[in-house]
Amino acid sequence: MQKEPITLTYDAIVIGGGIAGGEAALNLANNGYKVVLVESRLSVGGKMIMLSKVFPTLDCSACITTPKVSEISRHPNIKIFTESDITSIDKLGEQSFVVKMTQRPRYVVAEDCTACQLCEQACPVIVKDQFQYGLVGRKAVYIPFSIASPKVAAIDIDNCTLCGACEKVCPPGCIDFTMKPKEYIFNVKTAIVATGFRLYDPTNVPRYSYGTAKNVITSIQMERLLAPTRPFHTILRSSDGKVPDKIAYVLCAGSRDDSMGNPICSQICCMYSIKQAQLLLGALPMADITIYYIDIRAFGKGYDEFYEQAVSMGVRFVKGKIGKITEKENGNLTLRYEDVATGKLKEAEHDMVVLSVGVKPNKEAADLFKSHKLELDGLSFVKQSDPLLSPAKTSIDGVFVAGAATGPKDIPDSILSAGAASTEAISYLNQKSQ
Amino acid sequence: MKKKLGVYICACGGNISDYVDIERVREAVKDEDCVIMAKTTMFACGDSNQKDMEADIKENNLSGIVVASCSPKLHLTTFRGVSERAGLNKYNYVHANIREQASWAHSDNKPGATEKAIHLVKAAIAKARLAESLEPIVIESKRAVAVIGAGVAGLKAAISLARMNDDVYLIERDSKIGGKLNELETISPENISGKELLERLQKEIASEERITLITNAEVVASRGNIGDFKLTVRISGPQGNTEKEIHAGSVLVSTGFNSYTPAEGEFGFATVPNVITLPEFRKLMGGQKKAAEGGSGKLVYNGKEINSIAYIYCVGSRQVKGDNKYCSRYCCTAAVQASLDVRAIAPEIENFHFHKGIRTYGKQELIYKESNSKGDVYIQFMDKKPPVVSAAEGGISVKALDVLTEKRESEVIADLVVLVTGMVPDSDTSIGTLFKLPKGRDNFYNEIHMKLRPVETVIDGITIAGTCQGPKNVMESVNSSLSAAAKSHSFVSKGELELEPIIAYVNADTCNWCDACSKACPFNAVAMVETAGGQKASINKSTCKGCGMCLPVCPSDSIELISFTNRDMEDMIDVLAL
Repeated sequence: MQKEPITLTYDAIVIGGGIAGGEAALNLANNGYKVVLVESRLSVGGKMIMLSKVFPTLDCSACITTPKVSEISRHPNIKIFTESDITSIDKLGEQSFVVKMTQRPRYVVAEDCTACQLCEQACPVIVKDQFQYGLVGRKAVYIPFSIASPKVAAIDIDNCTLCGACEKVCPPGCIDFTMKPKEYIFNVKTAIVATGFRLYDPTNVPRYSYGTAKNVITSIQMERLLAPTRPFHTILRSSDGKVPDKIAYVLCAGSRDDSMGNPICSQICCMYSIKQAQLLLGALPMADITIYYIDIRAFGKGYDEFYEQAVSMGVRFVKGKIGKITEKENGNLTLRYEDVATGKLKEAEHDMVVLSVGVKPNKEAADLFKSHKLELDGLSFVKQSDPLLSPAKTSIDGVFVAGAATGPKDIPDSILSAGAASTEAISYLNQKSQ
Repeated sequence: MKKKLGVYICACGGNISDYVDIERVREAVKDEDCVIMAKTTMFACGDSNQKDMEADIKENNLSGIVVASCSPKLHLTTFRGVSERAGLNKYNYVHANIREQASWAHSDNKPGATEKAIHLVKAAIAKARLAESLEPIVIESKRAVAVIGAGVAGLKAAISLARMNDDVYLIERDSKIGGKLNELETISPENISGKELLERLQKEIASEERITLITNAEVVASRGNIGDFKLTVRISGPQGNTEKEIHAGSVLVSTGFNSYTPAEGEFGFATVPNVITLPEFRKLMGGQKKAAEGGSGKLVYNGKEINSIAYIYCVGSRQVKGDNKYCSRYCCTAAVQASLDVRAIAPEIENFHFHKGIRTYGKQELIYKESNSKGDVYIQFMDKKPPVVSAAEGGISVKALDVLTEKRESEVIADLVVLVTGMVPDSDTSIGTLFKLPKGRDNFYNEIHMKLRPVETVIDGITIAGTCQGPKNVMESVNSSLSAAAKSHSFVSKGELELEPIIAYVNADTCNWCDACSKACPFNAVAMVETAGGQKASINKSTCKGCGMCLPVCPSDSIELISFTNRDMEDMIDVLAL
């Protein structure tokens, strides 16, 4: 075990390596500040790097995330720690924060790994791949995904049988089972919280049959099916390999409903569902796509036009909330809903159902701050202390917030809020030092 | 010495390889003159491929690379970075766009797309053979930013820039600052009025010594470029107009929006009494006390007590027939908020909302919920059947087919009709014209890329903030304004800037000054100089953008563009024509 934590000094810490955290770190670094960026997962890039294409321009998401990720990971003023958890942040005074962090062992020497994947081939253990949202399997030693950054293998020690097969085939010999967690202490002057959001867990709504009916999937799983680095290289039902031809989207699955534990609108689901519908019509030209909605919230620049485009492409929009989803013997699904247009209860059969799951807060951010309280709002998102005039300010002076940590946000809004957070952080660093 | 070239052909995860046979492209170009290696890759931009390229350049002593992938608009800087890190001058890298120009353009013809890709890559190789190392042009950048428009976005940008130690010229057309904040009553979700926000901002502006506020002022001329914009500002005063020149390294445009003005007769506007717009309604409420704070509990308009109000949404937005196809984003929340505010003044009032689907996105949903729980009635009308407003006995009749009641007609007789008007671009477009700022389909100013460069414009050094870029609420305007401030700051903070060396140059031996090039130049970069050999054209290195407009008009063919010389182009065309 390491005796003393490693102590390092930076101007700013950015917590979370998604698109908001990355953008904030870049803004600071480009203005000459030294930044440490801490990510809890194996790769930076957050949710955006996992997406297929983005609305309303249909740019390939990987194509616009990778240059950012690459810029972040190579920037001389940015140091990235992945697979790392912050354990405490204490504010000693203005421009003086002490951050304690633990980096979990990867059991692979990152500097030496060439991502040759021989270890993956040798490993006998197969478990569900969390980066493909459970659609396919992965090995116990694995590269998170093809465009991960860093692109380095890691061992999932909980599932590893310690058989040593990977160690034998690794050309540079970079597997190291003796790795221990590493402790760090950072002295920083300001902090940006960019911890993002969690997706709503649809098993909270048993009547939607997620987890029990095989062909009910979530929208993020559909993102993976549609992505350039998609697991099957086509759209199919992973349960039986059938190519679906009648796909339903259930909007507000975990939004705008107190009984589901989320009273607010998740802001992104209408648009990503409309985008997926358009992509599906491209991939499966003969398929019927139906979107069941309460209201279509296409509010951003070019969004309403994008919605109108989906309508003209032949996507069916049905105003009605889905009450219940039941699985039939052949794996198809029966959807019960109130058709608002006719006021009648109706049933429809689909061979694949996509739940457009909503946005929930990552409450953990608040627990990191020990000496001062990082306040949350009534919905458990990070509270903005001055939402109208300084949207990035929090209850702690010198701690700013970016992206979906304050509430649901699409990518453009997340990036703008990250710009705001970095401006506030630079102002804070400048002003107090005078 | 003979060049040693490496060629990389990207699959773009299927975006290219689904239509272009990249292996065939590789085969076809691998034996081209000077090519010593040719590879295909899943994602050329991916981190691991970038590392491989760096290693290839170093190990094989490559003197040039060709990347065949997406548009250079996306990844030019990525691969220039790769070259630099590997010790190769970045101008020895040449890009071929085989996605937008081959795979996407010809997805219906795979062999044709492959053939075209081969030609494009060969042409890029031809150019790479001639490529030369270049050094960027370094210019001084004034540590000052001109902020045009002093609404909430401009004010916040100015304060933030000053706090980042930049000098700021805040230029406002009007005699007072604050823009639309002066008209806003309650702003969701804070229950603060625009005036209160403005008072705070005024104090902050006054305490920042770096901010020079110029009101009653218009920018009438602009010379120069990023690093040194020279703006002429006309200030109108009691003694007539004065002019002032301002030097700034960057310009931040925050000129805001106008509220849509309905046409005469549009939903009864200006033809039926008591039909007003949302801003007028907010003004009406502005003078009233809340019932709980000792108000009369009544709302009176035109001498009549208002007991019921009908709100018609999407007036000037999401038009089926008109030009404004876009959603104005802020108005659903603003109207629902106004309907809650009016209940606070006159608790007995009945609210009827005629809408096209309420868009209280995100946390704003909570005020919609509150409104529903207070008994407001929401009637959704059909896109193609907007409500009909007419004068009726005892009030104003609003009729619409209600989506919720099987399209049966609902009629409400209201005392007041509020037209929920959207945002339209500011009618004063002089700033856009002056700087040649591009506009989107919606006529708001356009950013370069909504996600990668959301506050920059194609004019280097000019950023856009707030509602001049598109409809936004106050919080969203401020976020965009602070983002634009970060970007403008980065243009001026280092005191110098590096510019592209790919610019035009004049061959003085053959030039017989005729003025054709200077007339063709959109950037005023060409000037006449007297030399011993007579009058010649001369090009300003910091203003020339390398657009090439001067080249074809030169009768003596005396202008060349670095990196795109006649020789470069002819070699490329030779390959393409094969």
